[in-house]
Amino acid sequence: MTKDRTVADRGEIPIVYTIRGCDSCVKLLAKWDAEKVVYDERRVELSQATLDEARQYGKLVPIVVWPDGRVEQGFGDSFGCFI
Amino acid sequence: MATATTVVTSNRFEQGLTYGGFLAAATVNRDRFEQNYNNPVLTAEDRIFFQKASQHPDGPRKLLVIAEAWCGDVYRELPTAVRIAESAGIDLRIFLRDENPDIMDEFLSNNGKSRAIPVFVFYTTDTKYITHFTERSASAHAGLALAMEQARARLNLPASATFGNLPDPARREFLLDVISRIEPLADQWRRDAVKEIRQLLASALHLSDAA
Repeated sequence: MTKDRTVADRGEIPIVYTIRGCDSCVKLLAKWDAEKVVYDERRVELSQATLDEARQYGKLVPIVVWPDGRVEQGFGDSFGCFI
Repeated sequence: MATATTVVTSNRFEQGLTYGGFLAAATVNRDRFEQNYNNPVLTAEDRIFFQKASQHPDGPRKLLVIAEAWCGDVYRELPTAVRIAESAGIDLRIFLRDENPDIMDEFLSNNGKSRAIPVFVFYTTDTKYITHFTERSASAHAGLALAMEQARARLNLPASATFGNLPDPARREFLLDVISRIEPLADQWRRDAVKEIRQLLASALHLSDAA
């Protein structure tokens, strides 16, 4: 994991919008951490600006914005959490 | 919710946030709470029912809410709980789920596996449990299941298709199709929640005029 937003904004690592109280988000991050995936986590519950940023991409967290522009919402068999 | 072991005492209840305090502390979604509060779904008949229920000797005088401001189900349903409390003179207090795990543990759903919110718990004036409502109405759950079924049919997916077993892009299409079907149902789900809360209270208090 990295906190370097610049790297993420350059499209080199995935951006993941999360809520720490969301079970699907926790499961995704646990999987990525186990796989040593480097990512930029942006927690939408911490600011309206980040939440609004996430809403540009989807309606369910976790929302993953991959370096190639692909966007995924939710994780696994769960619907995820509406934002 | 078992009264013998509950952590929800009268003193604990008093420690909850008022709606105003909750909104003041919320970092997100204040606009959505205000929008739903200003677009109430309670009818005049609903208000009369809740007033009558609160006047029952064993009726609700306290309403405990478990919530988090970031949750879509919460900003959809909490303003309705506030309207119910206001219409019937019920004291409403809000407890943040992630700061009150002991309270949340009393109201787990999905066979004890889910910490779904919001939870609305009605208590008597001396904090005896009456009934509670979790997340969304049964009809809303059914509506979600129907939306998934309809999406599978439109996308020619097998009945066994879930979000977890489809590869992209089929998973993405499935998800977006389901979302597009349920989004217009938000106000209906809010009305259904009121209906279900009325039924829960009517059943618990043996009132004859359930919705």
